[in-house]
Amino acid sequence: MTEHPLDAQLLVVVGAGGVGKTTLAAALGVVSAKDGARTLVMTFDPSRRLKDALRVGAEATSRPVAVPIRGGRLDASLLDARVTFDALVRRYAPDPPAARRILQNRFYHHLAGHLAGVLEYMAVERLFEVATEGRYDRVILDTPPTRQALDFLEAPDRIVGFLDSGALRIALKPWFTRDGALRRGMVRRRIAGLLDRLIGLELLQEMAEFFQAFAPLYDGFRHRSREVQELLRRPETRFLLVAGPGESRVPDTLFFARRLRQARHHLAGIVVNQVHGRRAGGQEGSDGRTEVGKRPDGAAALLPSCPPAVDGIEVLRWLRERDARGLTALRQLVTDGTPVADLPLLAEPPTGLAALDALGRSLRKRLDAIAAMRYDSPALRQGRRTGGPSRGGERRWSG
Amino acid sequence: VSPSLAERELIVVTGKGGVGKTTVTAALGHALRARGRRVLLFETDPRESLHRLLGTRPSGGDVVEAADGLWHLSLDPRDEMEAMVRSRIRVPLLAGAVAASPVFRHFMEAAPGLKELATLGHALRLVRGQTGPGVDTVVLDAPATGHGVSMLAAPQLVTDVLGKGPAADLAAEIAAFVGDGARCGVVVVTLAEEMPVQETIELIAALDARIGRPPDLVVVNQVYPPRGPPKKGGREGGHLWTRRRAINEAEMAHLRRHWTGPTVELPLLPHDPGPELARGLAARLARS
Repeated sequence: MTEHPLDAQLLVVVGAGGVGKTTLAAALGVVSAKDGARTLVMTFDPSRRLKDALRVGAEATSRPVAVPIRGGRLDASLLDARVTFDALVRRYAPDPPAARRILQNRFYHHLAGHLAGVLEYMAVERLFEVATEGRYDRVILDTPPTRQALDFLEAPDRIVGFLDSGALRIALKPWFTRDGALRRGMVRRRIAGLLDRLIGLELLQEMAEFFQAFAPLYDGFRHRSREVQELLRRPETRFLLVAGPGESRVPDTLFFARRLRQARHHLAGIVVNQVHGRRAGGQEGSDGRTEVGKRPDGAAALLPSCPPAVDGIEVLRWLRERDARGLTALRQLVTDGTPVADLPLLAEPPTGLAALDALGRSLRKRLDAIAAMRYDSPALRQGRRTGGPSRGGERRWSG
Repeated sequence: VSPSLAERELIVVTGKGGVGKTTVTAALGHALRARGRRVLLFETDPRESLHRLLGTRPSGGDVVEAADGLWHLSLDPRDEMEAMVRSRIRVPLLAGAVAASPVFRHFMEAAPGLKELATLGHALRLVRGQTGPGVDTVVLDAPATGHGVSMLAAPQLVTDVLGKGPAADLAAEIAAFVGDGARCGVVVVTLAEEMPVQETIELIAALDARIGRPPDLVVVNQVYPPRGPPKKGGREGGHLWTRRRAINEAEMAHLRRHWTGPTVELPLLPHDPGPELARGLAARLARS
């Protein structure tokens, strides 16, 4: 068993959109690699700043790309639903013509891009591939932004449920013969007639073709989904929940933590990110003074329609109070012992590997402090103090 | 809120997740109401949040009055699709059977654009007074960025895919409504931060490419307000404020290089999401 989230073989970083998941995942990746574990960070849609920081480009969509860090191995890969879905179809299709038939189907074209959960499913699909290869000691998975951060977990079940829905196949298949003509029969004609009135037979026909073409793939999908679910529930897999600051986000955070537990996932900790803290932004620097002095009116000129009714410092004070309230509430309401760590809002977003490293270490330190309170054993402290490769470092995934 | 925006029958509010779309939707509702419009705020997320900003009870599918001439409604697109089926199939028993069948439900989930079409179709019926309290404007709290464009492009997509038939006719009708810039407006909400601004620039381009026109208004939300006059010994938090404000300004400048259309900045206000926040922002929207 591992007690520290960074010691997990697979660390899944989850949370609502806009809370800094991707940056934290990258930061933890840098620290993990520098501490000696061969690490892969899988991420969705990172900002240009983060891509620049990791020095990865579009090529990371098709394969993991090495991040140039000193004294360790870190790879990064970007996830693209369509690219992964296409690859999956090619792999599971019985022969190239069958794959082509699916890929060219208009319905597939829409499905691959629009079906809710495709991106999330593809994430775990790619994840499984990487996890079973055994090339990494640690994989850190950033998850797609979702409002309630739940789609990610439910996606595999949902998409398999959809693709596997016998009802759909059974319902569509009998209406058409192999060459796509509508079968005879009163009842069938009547139902088909209804659907025709709603959506038109042409689309229906294309759907039937799609599901016929997809049929050989069902078993592969279903099997893979079960494996992925098992992987996500293994004790070596840990979830890190990232939340935004403020009291208004507490219910969503609690809700998600509860859902993770209900789904038998291992929640290693909750990080409340971007907290306006007492010393958030570090020291009261001289550059702050000069910049304010340099352009006292520049700001007003850029933001003309913003009435100066509220003082910025007053707002900052209120934000601190709000975030402190939120943290207190969350700590009171998380009663199962899950560590709740807070990270301050940074004055500067991390723009390079060094900044990511510092951010990752700061997060690690905070989680360490909380973990030390909970698991205060000499062996653990020793392990942490040496800062060497984590105990999971020697292990790999089997299979 | 410009006079032209106030005359729209449908205003679609979109933007990246977590930028405060729902808050802006509520503020826009108050601002339009102040201009004498009868307004209905429409959300489709099953986990309702509009009611918290309006200080009312959750809608649960009913139209709820929030103030004189201001309502809100939360509707699951699936229910709306079911209503669509019922209106097309005259035999109630058969309509019920179709709507309840797994085939139908899976189809509606997967078929491109149908859910969006159902939502927009309902908005159109609200505007026409065929349902609801009879309103001048519907403000739709649309899904996050990519899905927001998909929503607006859905009627045309469905029209193209279906080609003919009653559903295609309905789609074409909605497509014409959404495509009419005088009747349907788009408001994009963003933050003056790197990722949201980048997405907004992409969203503006996508709107242009897929529905053929730019947004009517870009709302930059949660801007760190200007610092007040210096106080005695008041250096507290100065650095963080300066840096955050500088980021806001740099990102605003970035946005301005790509977007020169109507833009409103809303300051961070010292209120939790609630009626006070919505009204405070509405006052600023109305003044702009």
